[in-house]
Amino acid sequence: MSVLGIELRRSAAAGAALITVTVGVAALYTAPGRWSEGWMSLALTVKEYMILLWPIALAAGAWQGRREHRAKVGELFATTPRSRARRMLPVLVAMGASVGLAFLLVVGAGGLWIASTAAYFPPDVVAITLVGALSLVAAAWLGLGIGRLLPALVTAPVLAVAGVLLVFFTAIMRPDWMGAIMSPAYGSSPFYAFQTIDPRVTAVLALFMGGLALTGVLLLVARGPRTSVAAVLPVLLGFGAAAAIVPRDEAALVAPIDPVARELVCTDDAPKVCVTRVNSNVLDALTPLAREGLAVLAKLPDAPTQAHEERWAYPVEDAPTRDAGIVTITVRIDDHGGLAHPDAVVPEMVFGLGTGYGNPECERNGAVERAAAYHLLGREPVSDVGVIPEMIEEEPQLNAEAVELWQGLQKLPAPEALARVTAVRDALLACQDPTGLLSR
Amino acid sequence: MRAVSTAETATTIHPWAVHAEALKVRAGRHLAVDGLDLSLGTGVHGLLGRNGAGKTTLMRAIATVLKPAGGRLTLLGSSVDGRADLRQARRALGYLPQHFGYYPRFTVREFVSYMAWLKEMPKRDIPAATQRAIDRVGLSAKADAKLRTLSGGMLRRAGVAQAIVNDPQVLLLDEPTVGLDPEQRLDLRELLRDLGTDACVLVSTHLVEDVVAACTEVVLINEGQLVWQGTPAALAEQGDERHPGDSPAERGYSALLRSHLAEATR
Repeated sequence: MSVLGIELRRSAAAGAALITVTVGVAALYTAPGRWSEGWMSLALTVKEYMILLWPIALAAGAWQGRREHRAKVGELFATTPRSRARRMLPVLVAMGASVGLAFLLVVGAGGLWIASTAAYFPPDVVAITLVGALSLVAAAWLGLGIGRLLPALVTAPVLAVAGVLLVFFTAIMRPDWMGAIMSPAYGSSPFYAFQTIDPRVTAVLALFMGGLALTGVLLLVARGPRTSVAAVLPVLLGFGAAAAIVPRDEAALVAPIDPVARELVCTDDAPKVCVTRVNSNVLDALTPLAREGLAVLAKLPDAPTQAHEERWAYPVEDAPTRDAGIVTITVRIDDHGGLAHPDAVVPEMVFGLGTGYGNPECERNGAVERAAAYHLLGREPVSDVGVIPEMIEEEPQLNAEAVELWQGLQKLPAPEALARVTAVRDALLACQDPTGLLSR
Repeated sequence: MRAVSTAETATTIHPWAVHAEALKVRAGRHLAVDGLDLSLGTGVHGLLGRNGAGKTTLMRAIATVLKPAGGRLTLLGSSVDGRADLRQARRALGYLPQHFGYYPRFTVREFVSYMAWLKEMPKRDIPAATQRAIDRVGLSAKADAKLRTLSGGMLRRAGVAQAIVNDPQVLLLDEPTVGLDPEQRLDLRELLRDLGTDACVLVSTHLVEDVVAACTEVVLINEGQLVWQGTPAALAEQGDERHPGDSPAERGYSALLRSHLAEATR
């Protein structure tokens, strides 16, 4: 019966691991759509849930850290030859290993769900996950140290609350680079599928968490107040080293782009349909729909001949310039990693008449565009609610107007109707107000 | 043939297992042990004295919990003061504090093993030594029960088990009979006699009967000083019918204390 074995069974280690796995997996599977896109999405989502997991590890450490005080074994243990540091080693290993492994289990539980659909495995995922595990080890060890220093009943719950606030406020603090060093959840808000975390940001978090972990160890094994004060040195050194190498430019800090994930993966045959590498598993499902959309648009002169997944990194990039030969598609991923809302692909391709979103400063006319698009689609306009997944409400007036315009087009000879629709498309491209172009 | 460490070949012959000269120990700001001279060898020594006489403070000093404030204290030949390396002496020490702290989630076996590990016993010896210590205090049936499920008397015996797991040369038991029923007290006396054949056992108690039955020597202290040291038989001879008590030993105890107090106030 080894002492490590005893500590694994009888300390808070097993409980902390169980709570971490339960909370982490429950949080993941409450909304699998947030991370079903791929490995990086999973890594970022788990990192976001650090706001729950990190305080749990901190509080568990604090609970365990006051054990000697609670059990009043100090006098008995003081008569034994084994040093305090050696006495604490098994409990440090037990707590660290169990929360670290629990974190890896949470990531693994998500990995099982996406393993068959995720097409792209960026190596940064490994580093982000390992540093996430290190962050939890650091939280547990810091908790042990604080729990020993302040062995009160309220220490653990107070640290749990403080941990939530700390993770949250450091994640959103300014300047960004400080948050990148200190917050175990920094950079985890998802904006696009080809997002990543700069390897330097992962490295500085590792430095800071390493320092924090050492501080916890020193607080736990300190023999006197002088060592306890000296315990702040590792975390200060960790912060200093991290501050020296942390990137300060926004491109590396705020939702950085993984260029490999954003590369296009295309069909070999024409008409060409392309998706980003990170979403390349849905290419086969998307291709027939995209070609159907291209065929509808082909009724217009000079229509686009290729369909590409929308790759605009909103909000960190300005709107890209459009290639008139390419129509962009918003690719959505469902809870199981497949193509979500396939019914929306063709209408969305046709709604802009192949011009993309256009410049937001240009005058637009929703009813005119809708009537023109539905003329190409060959059916009566309907409300966007139910067609475009994100739409939840629109003015009934808009569609009534569109139907009226569409009926007007139907009564015209086909070449005249097409000429008017083409005029609307050309107005959009030229940034002119298309109002009245269908009913002149 | 294996290598032999210097610790193994160091002499085990000390004139006394515990030796105090003009020892002073503070309990808080109060000098609870104040100029005590005491020499203890192999055997079971019963430490008697009124509440506040300094019994527990003396025990804690010998257990290396408290540093002496003055005088000299040697434990198995090594000096106990602020600077000395106490590891060697502590390996040979067993201690049951008056307030025995324990981890309630641990089983008896786990806690005794853990204490054996803290006493730096060789890893391979720990399981057998643990079992033997548990057997000797009569807790075999409860070896794998969690400590929080034990009654007061069982806990006290678990406390004795952790104290003896390393076959200590100096064993300090502060009121080991608290919470034991009469039968368990008889068993403990038996164990004490057994332990006292090759170790120095110091037992603090209020029960004169336990001392007479189990101890080879009686140590009586008052106000931090040694009042009397001798065999239980000699203790019984100190008193007569005029002194309070239900047995010769109790009357001897009363007589010694009275004459000491009379001397002190004179």
